Amino acid sequence: MVRYTGLQKDVLALYRQCLRAVRDKPSATRSNFRAFARAEFRKHISISKKDFSTIEYLLRRGRNQLESYHDPEIRNIYQ
Amino acid sequence: MFRTALLRSARQAARSTPRWQTPIARPAARSSLLQSKQIIPAAYFQAVRCYSASAGLSKDEVQGRIMDLLKNFDKVTDASKLNAESHFHNDLGLDSLDTVEVVMAIEEEFSLEIPDKQADAIHSVKQAVDYILSQPDGKGAIPILRH
Repeated sequence: MVRYTGLQKDVLALYRQCLRAVRDKPSATRSNFRAFARAEFRKHISISKKDFSTIEYLLRRGRNQLESYHDPEIRNIYQ
Repeated sequence: MFRTALLRSARQAARSTPRWQTPIARPAARSSLLQSKQIIPAAYFQAVRCYSASAGLSKDEVQGRIMDLLKNFDKVTDASKLNAESHFHNDLGLDSLDTVEVVMAIEEEFSLEIPDKQADAIHSVKQAVDYILSQPDGKGAIPILRH
């Protein structure tokens, strides 16, 4: 049984929120948004789980990004 | 000829309506006219009954749908290790982000939302199947409309 730390749970919760937000996007561009979220999280996969300050910074940045990209005006995304 | 067939089926549909009513809705004193309508072979309203699905989901169906979903997931490279007991990390080699994606796909497949706490606890096919079956819309549900 894998047990996650609080910070890991926060990251997974943000990832879940991002994937949920993808569902609000137009169906034609949904895969672009999903690929973007996936890539953004994968980009930092190698960060040590003890590197709290970096992870917290990235979490904050991720939340802001989610908020701005969640705008219904944004209909497509390119990597 | 088509028209007569259509008319006949329409008449039959109209005649079978009293059969759908719940016992409470039926008048207490039935007229002889109404009673004659009651004698209808069961086959007549079979076509209408097709829309009512059988109760809930079976374990095999849930399992099959989850396994199909995993089979199509691009991160599952070794499909031979996929079975009803597979662990997402130990058997299928998925990491925590992939697990989140799988759980989200399961949500979409069964049209429900799994709260974060429960979603974090799903790490294997078996746990996912058990969770789906434990939901009120799953197998244990009491069908509301059954005649």
